[in-house]
Amino acid sequence: MAYKAQFAPGSSIISKNRRKYMDPDYQLKKLRSLSDEDIVLVLGHRAPGEDFKSVHPPLEEMGEPDCIIRELVEPTEGAKAGDRIRYVQFTDSVYSAPITPYQRAWAYCHRYRGIDTGTLSGRQIIEARERDVEKISKELIETEIFDPARTGIRGRTVHGHAVRLDENGLMFDAMRRYIYDATSGEVKYVKNMVGEPIDRPVSVGKPMADAELEKMTTMFRGDGVSINDDQEVIDVVNSVHWGRTFGGFKSVNRDGE
Amino acid sequence: MVSKMESRKLYIKSMEKKFKEKPDDRKTEFYNYGTWRQSKRKTAYVEAAKKIEAERGIPGYNPDVGLAQGQRLLMPYQLNHTDYIVDMDDLHFMNNAAMQQIWDDMRRTVIVGMDMAHNILEKRLGKEVTPETINHYMELINHAMPGGAVIQEHMCEVNPEIASDCYVKFFTGDDELADQIDKRFLIDINKNFPEDQAEAIKNAIGKSSYQVVRVPTLVGRVCDGGTISRWSGMQIGMTMMGAYNMAAGEAATADFSYAAKHASVIEMSSFMPVRRARGSNEPGGMPFGVLADCVQSSRLYPDDPGRHTLEVIAAGAVVYDQIYLGSYMSGGVGFTQYASATYTDNILEDFVYYGIDYIKDKYGDFCTVEPTVANIEKISTDIAVYCLETYENYPTVMESHFGGSQRAACISAASGCATAMATGSATAGINAWYQSQLLHKEEMGRLGFYGYDLQDQCGSSNSFSFRSDEGLPFEMRGPNYPNYAMNVGHMSAYSGIATAPHAARGDAWTLSPLIKVAFSDNSLIFDFGHVVECYGKGAMREFVPAGERDAITP
Repeated sequence: MAYKAQFAPGSSIISKNRRKYMDPDYQLKKLRSLSDEDIVLVLGHRAPGEDFKSVHPPLEEMGEPDCIIRELVEPTEGAKAGDRIRYVQFTDSVYSAPITPYQRAWAYCHRYRGIDTGTLSGRQIIEARERDVEKISKELIETEIFDPARTGIRGRTVHGHAVRLDENGLMFDAMRRYIYDATSGEVKYVKNMVGEPIDRPVSVGKPMADAELEKMTTMFRGDGVSINDDQEVIDVVNSVHWGRTFGGFKSVNRDGE
Repeated sequence: MVSKMESRKLYIKSMEKKFKEKPDDRKTEFYNYGTWRQSKRKTAYVEAAKKIEAERGIPGYNPDVGLAQGQRLLMPYQLNHTDYIVDMDDLHFMNNAAMQQIWDDMRRTVIVGMDMAHNILEKRLGKEVTPETINHYMELINHAMPGGAVIQEHMCEVNPEIASDCYVKFFTGDDELADQIDKRFLIDINKNFPEDQAEAIKNAIGKSSYQVVRVPTLVGRVCDGGTISRWSGMQIGMTMMGAYNMAAGEAATADFSYAAKHASVIEMSSFMPVRRARGSNEPGGMPFGVLADCVQSSRLYPDDPGRHTLEVIAAGAVVYDQIYLGSYMSGGVGFTQYASATYTDNILEDFVYYGIDYIKDKYGDFCTVEPTVANIEKISTDIAVYCLETYENYPTVMESHFGGSQRAACISAASGCATAMATGSATAGINAWYQSQLLHKEEMGRLGFYGYDLQDQCGSSNSFSFRSDEGLPFEMRGPNYPNYAMNVGHMSAYSGIATAPHAARGDAWTLSPLIKVAFSDNSLIFDFGHVVECYGKGAMREFVPAGERDAITP
């Protein structure tokens, strides 16, 4: 019997969104376009047009040992080229940002290869070879899991996810990496991920409306869809809790059988 | 039920005082507060740093070279169940003399049993021990303990002004003996505790007698916690010889020394393994139940288990999270913002009292619910969802706890304390803590720092373990328990969970009646009956600590 991944439990719109973003067969909706140079500017790892820095020669030139694992695992483009490891990190506001740190980790692990992720309450980092990072970043910024106002691209000084929104609905950023352009209605990055000024503003598009975000979000909320309204999610939490509590000690199920 | 819960929500008033904006509004303004200049404290720091630089020629504190502080409101904090509204900088233990003293007073305490010494005197040496000889001993030990010589001449003694906080007191479960002890030295159990608690304590202690030793604060600071029993033991040994006219060289003195330094000594904490090595009487080796018994609200407010639980949490936040993990094990400035979440702005206060109302409304009384997993999950889920949705419904509350770890600590503390109170079991309470963490992560899609992602994901599996290499009754675990050893922010809540069932049941103590009595002493510098209020005094610079060196400085 072929295994069909469920990805996440629950029947609410929140649970459905979670499954959608985690399912690698689901094509994330593209909502905006950024040029490759825009991505390079915002990430700030290299100057536009600059070669990728490498930490080893291309794999083809290295004469790798005979190894069944190496035969099984296709290297990413960045690994083939010998790129250094770099990162992109996002902060997701609690105010109905489309995705959350844990959802990012789970979605990344289903969607991308050759990556390492790290999750905290406000932000989520994904590390990979540099050209792979740029490719992943482009998808993550251009698609529905990014909102210009509620998602931040932040390498450091990341706080803001739980702080109230500014008068334009933008998430707080102590380094003010982005501004709201009232004329165009767009959010523009004027600093890169670590807060260094960049040569020209990079637009990441117009913020989505609250009503739209509430349909896309993966967060349960007291003023939105309550977790109490999706019993299957609570049941799964309790199932995990029971398993971790007794799994090592008692070979019985919850009903004592 | 709803109206009763609605009537609490003390945090709403705290939010209004902090932000001066509607607490449920999502939007505000940033970047226009004048950075660090909005804070009187930080402005004063800058002025002080300029003078220091001018004097020493080395630059120091300068917020203009660090990340610009104050891009948003540097809001003040209201201390739980008090009217104190304080600057956040004043909650760093370095800036708060009361926070230093709560730990000083724990570290400089040892309890030394007197029965062994009295047995040696009576049964081996044929000497008489009477209330009069005990009173004479107590007078002599109160000369010796601060650094007075007892049996040797031409000794270098300690300036009493530098050790004015040092003394020794006496207690016993024997009312007849207690009545004959000089009141200057007696910790009076009947006077200090409500009648039912006093009876329980006296029954536990019996006719045994103990001395409570407060070594000078400065000794703990200059040396370490491991010194306290040595300093105490040396002075007790000398005093025994002096008080009972013994020979310095007779064999029985070795027995006194052994009793005073080892066999009869009750320390506040055990020493720690080499990878986190510290001596005894250092915070890492102190079980949660000991910390709970240092705090005295259980006898002062016996009908308010919420208050006692929250006071213990506040003590744990400073001693374990801010001082031990935040400084002994780490260092720097990050831990105050994190740990102070549990004792500020009446947020956890509301969560704990919500749990109390919930138990009374749903089950009728405390300690009546069978600690089955189903019951644990039910209580924990209901409390956690209430807390989660409080943050979501009140953006200023969310902003007050702007780090996920702050929220994770408070939410799970509430789940754990409520479950512990409902079931009468701290073990059930800690299991609920873990269920609450899992639920929180699933609800918000986020949790806290590494400790929440690792230890809190696997901790359910050791919550019911009592095997000696894997676990203990929860009251006997402490920061050195392997799964807790790096979990800043957790220790305060764990202390509360260890306390909650005992507070709910009306127990006179959590782990040790001896420690509960020792800290009921009103001669202590820190007020263990009003922990949070004392922090407020420290923050407002109203608290007078011990251990000052004015007597020996220009």
